[in-house]
Amino acid sequence: MEKVLEVRDKTKTPELNYLNNGYSVASWLLTKDHKRIAMLYLASVSFFFMLGGFFAALIRLELMTPNSDLLQAASYNRVFTAHGIIMVFLFLIPAIPATIGNFFVPLMIGAKDLAFPRINLLSWYLYMAGGLVAAYALLQGGVDTGWTFYAPYSTTFSNGWVVVTGLGAFIIGFSSILTGLNFIVTIHTMRAPGMTWFRLPLFIWSHYATSLIMILGTPVIAITILLLALERIAKIGIFDPAIGGDPILFQHLFWFYSHPAVYIMILPSMGIISELIANFSRKRIFGYEFVAFSSIAIAVIGFLVWGHHLFVSGQSIYAGLVFSILTMIVAVPSAVKVFNWTATLYKGSISFDTPMLYAFSFLGLFLVGGLTGLFLGTAGMDIHLSDTYFIIAHFHYVMVGSTVIGYLGGIHYWWSKMTGKEYSEFWGKISAMLVFIGFNLTFFPQFILGYLGMPRRYASYAEELQVLNIFSTAGAGVLAIGMIMPVIYLTASLFNGKDAGDNRWHLPGLEWRTSSPPPTENFYEPPVVTWEAYDFSDENGLEPRKELTKETV
Amino acid sequence: MSDTHAHDYHPPGLQHQFEDMKQQEESNIIGMWMFLAQEIMFFGGLFTAYLIFRSKYPMAFAAGSNHLDAFLGGLNTLVLIVSSLTMALTVYYAQKNNRNMQVIMIVLTMIFGTVFLGVKAVEYTDKYNHGLVPFATWNKKTKGEAQAKTEAPKEVKNFFASEGGKAPAGAKVEEKHDYINPTGQFQWNSQGESNELILEAQKGNFLTEDEKIGYFTNGEIDQKKFEGRVRIFFWIYFAMTGLHALHMIIGLGLMLWLLIMAWRGTYSAQYYSPVEISGLYWHFVDIVWIFLFPLLYLLGRHFIH
Amino acid sequence: MQNNSWIPLFPEQASSFAWQVDLLYFYIIAVCLFFGTSVVIAVTWFAWQYREKEKFATPKEIHGSNVLELTWTAIPFVIAMTIFVFGSYVFFNLYRMPADTMDIYVVGKQWMWKFQHGTGQREINELHVPVGRKIKLVMTTEDVLHDVFIPAFRTKADVVPGRYTYLWFEATKPGKYHLYCAEYCGLNHSGMGGWIYVMEQRDYDNWLAGNVTNQTPVESGQDLFQNKLGCASCHQETNQGRGPSLKGIFGKDQKLTNGQTVSVNESYIKESILNPQGQIVEGFQPIMPTFKGQVSEDQLNHIVAYIKSLSGNTTPTMTSSPAAKTPTAATPAKVEPTPAKPAGSPNPSAPSNVKGGK
Repeated sequence: MEKVLEVRDKTKTPELNYLNNGYSVASWLLTKDHKRIAMLYLASVSFFFMLGGFFAALIRLELMTPNSDLLQAASYNRVFTAHGIIMVFLFLIPAIPATIGNFFVPLMIGAKDLAFPRINLLSWYLYMAGGLVAAYALLQGGVDTGWTFYAPYSTTFSNGWVVVTGLGAFIIGFSSILTGLNFIVTIHTMRAPGMTWFRLPLFIWSHYATSLIMILGTPVIAITILLLALERIAKIGIFDPAIGGDPILFQHLFWFYSHPAVYIMILPSMGIISELIANFSRKRIFGYEFVAFSSIAIAVIGFLVWGHHLFVSGQSIYAGLVFSILTMIVAVPSAVKVFNWTATLYKGSISFDTPMLYAFSFLGLFLVGGLTGLFLGTAGMDIHLSDTYFIIAHFHYVMVGSTVIGYLGGIHYWWSKMTGKEYSEFWGKISAMLVFIGFNLTFFPQFILGYLGMPRRYASYAEELQVLNIFSTAGAGVLAIGMIMPVIYLTASLFNGKDAGDNRWHLPGLEWRTSSPPPTENFYEPPVVTWEAYDFSDENGLEPRKELTKETV
Repeated sequence: MSDTHAHDYHPPGLQHQFEDMKQQEESNIIGMWMFLAQEIMFFGGLFTAYLIFRSKYPMAFAAGSNHLDAFLGGLNTLVLIVSSLTMALTVYYAQKNNRNMQVIMIVLTMIFGTVFLGVKAVEYTDKYNHGLVPFATWNKKTKGEAQAKTEAPKEVKNFFASEGGKAPAGAKVEEKHDYINPTGQFQWNSQGESNELILEAQKGNFLTEDEKIGYFTNGEIDQKKFEGRVRIFFWIYFAMTGLHALHMIIGLGLMLWLLIMAWRGTYSAQYYSPVEISGLYWHFVDIVWIFLFPLLYLLGRHFIH
Repeated sequence: MQNNSWIPLFPEQASSFAWQVDLLYFYIIAVCLFFGTSVVIAVTWFAWQYREKEKFATPKEIHGSNVLELTWTAIPFVIAMTIFVFGSYVFFNLYRMPADTMDIYVVGKQWMWKFQHGTGQREINELHVPVGRKIKLVMTTEDVLHDVFIPAFRTKADVVPGRYTYLWFEATKPGKYHLYCAEYCGLNHSGMGGWIYVMEQRDYDNWLAGNVTNQTPVESGQDLFQNKLGCASCHQETNQGRGPSLKGIFGKDQKLTNGQTVSVNESYIKESILNPQGQIVEGFQPIMPTFKGQVSEDQLNHIVAYIKSLSGNTTPTMTSSPAAKTPTAATPAKVEPTPAKPAGSPNPSAPSNVKGGK
């Protein structure tokens, strides 16, 4: 006898949910339902993740030997550029907000949908259009500028498809802006009665902060790409020093967006981890307000630190100092988050389901990723480390180790809500551990390589560095297996997974108070919130649900 | 779920995801403000580029700026300010349930917007005729012999003297302008004027480091280099005003849609948020122009006038 | 400075400030280990101690503690500030140019480094510097961004077209160290590197003067080819380098890009060193710079002797054979000292005249 929480009696109300509400292609491609759009995003984002992963595999295979034998330098340059562009613009930035965020922001605040459903659909179409344009450029021969498009190589010297790829990134940028706009408006105006700002789950706070960055940062990269394309086509003299332009200006404009973009990637993941840690310790998060405001602080200060990418670029050393101190300051809110997560575990009731394993994984990897950021934010240290494998290792710890882990954790956590099915807990745990081990094996040696002085974007390298590179490639193999496994067992669960019930883990969040999968309008009754966030006490949070509990065999 | 809403009052224009009109209006307005925040950052990139390059090459920017027609720019500023008034009145009459005045005000706003674009077209045509469009071969192509070029500067100088007050008082100098540009390239024919500027700045020790490199070759003023720097000014001019004009055109499209809806009497004191958010957009586009006008047309004029 | 070769997987220290960078590195590692281990221990301890004992239990609620929050905001902040101060001190040491430096001019070019010493001596992809002298690199590039990176010296700086950037160091230990380009610059980015040779002052003076004693012409030529002029960095044993392999070519015919065929003899080799753009071997780019004015006639002959020896031809070339003997020697036989000018033009806008590179 196990208690399965059901929101409604399935024998009485017909089981109509967002998934079985229409099966035609048009009902998916023209849907205005945020949940269906989230699923469209999930499929497309996963596709591009696989594509980016394929290029990553090529890179690691090439770097197994010091010479450029598997790939010639020309193809290697195109491969790492493709890896960067696909992973950053097509996976990391939309990954969590556009899929999990799209699905759960309305559900968690008790709204029927996002404020602008048609804009939401438009944003998916923009994403696909941009992705296809970028993919077209890759098929046509690719770009060899690196995802950073530094001038004047990109404007004058490269013979790749810079303008077309730029156009792709430009279009995807608007998809991101529209998503952010939709979230901000939705969080402001669509909260259910009683859902005050300080009752919002931290997932929502982090999405609010992310959306601010999307709206204020993305247009800058859009105009920068536009100017870059004009420079390449018409020689306007903005970035090309040969005709009076300033290549450092490009770096400033580029990083003004691209540094905050790192926070677009990491903040939603932090939101997911807050959810996981609170819910799997069955406790309110420690210092809720501090965790919430640390997200906003990261978003705001994150706009002021871009210059730490330019320590060695020839910018004034005094500018370097200012950016260095601001970078040190932005480290503090991240530390506050980690301490609060740790304190949340104290005296909790901690279960070790797959999502929680991902949360622990995140803590470990984010610790390494965040702390190694200290090295790079320190101006005197960055001179040696800049543009080496130390950087590569650092940002993979932050982006893969945190964003991808958060993404996988979130997918596992909400899988039962999204599909109504249970995945295999056994395979879930195995793959979570494989990802953790493989990841560390891949990227930890790269810190050492970086300090030894292996520069990034090298198709061939000094022979004495081969041993560490082989470790890294071997680790990438393990990581790849760990990443492919969820695709298999999650897909399998759609067909033969157990019925998960409406509230698999007996949690108080609003998204757990509707059926799995949720109906098109999200809730059967407009929800009214009377409890604080993460309130596990019987009197408040769980009481309304108890009436809905029924005994099943 | 349908039965829970069956008894609800469902006002016209309320979308399904909102509980009531108030929520919908609030969402629309916050959404528009967020969109405008995005727009500010979008234009912000160009303003940054302007800032950087003006501080690098102030004399080239002054010379370029002097070739913009401040009168037409000022006229456009006036036109846009008045159009903002009529836009505000449109919202006012929508709130007052006054359909006829609403329609009149929208039409007036559209007229002013069109006048603005018309004036802009006149200005662009002028640049086209004078070889000041920085895009390769996009200028007016005129036949001429290369040696005639040597005489051109003098006459061009006269042409500008008519504005600059260097001509004898009272005697209006005929605008005579032998323009020779067989390939339609960007052309800077006012060497006399720019040399004067550079030498003046050099005398006063005002040249920036970038100018010392950017205008000279081996200590001599390099006309080709200076032309390149002026070309940067015109790129920024066309990029900024072009993007602004694009926003005006989108604004006119919005107005047309508003006109149709207002004609049908859609908007009332209860439901006018489309009018309001279109108004926000229109005012934003006006404000951008309020910044563009002094930056592009006025700053640096005192070097010459 | 202190010997650190006992630390595994650690780069060599060979500059006056390398130990500062390393000290800073270990300081930050210590901070990381402190925070990292405390969090990991706490998480592990809590996870074990408070593991789920009853399914879906409701533990007591703890809202938080402002004192704790302030503590763990303040402590990381203070520690971060110490890192900042230390790091900025090192940053200034690395990036503020000292006064009494020996200047060496550097021009980056897709994909090679050109150095010019104050005495006019030029080098490609190799740089010889004396130990214990403050060296300042005055750098620019002809095309795209590059970056001089010398891991053993713990320093690097971008090289930016259209302007000069600077880098200084004082080598402390004679030896041979990696030189890399660390800013992505296109196709052959990973090949754009070479070596820094740190020499005792006496050896450096000798090297500058080109004085090599007790060497046969072939040995002397080999020394020039492999070390002093750095020909070997492009002309490798196989055709994998940027230039054609010179092994076994002497006396054979070479196909040129313009379709002609020349036979490789002394005069062809000399002509190719002094006027490399004239006759480009098929399949290679015209990227070799001229060595006119950098090699004396004697040295030229030594190189020819060495290249001949690569084809098994050991007949020594007459070291005194004047260039005029060879019919095509249209090049000045006299060595003119190159003025101590920057390798590029002193005008930073000079790169604007150089287009292409594609």
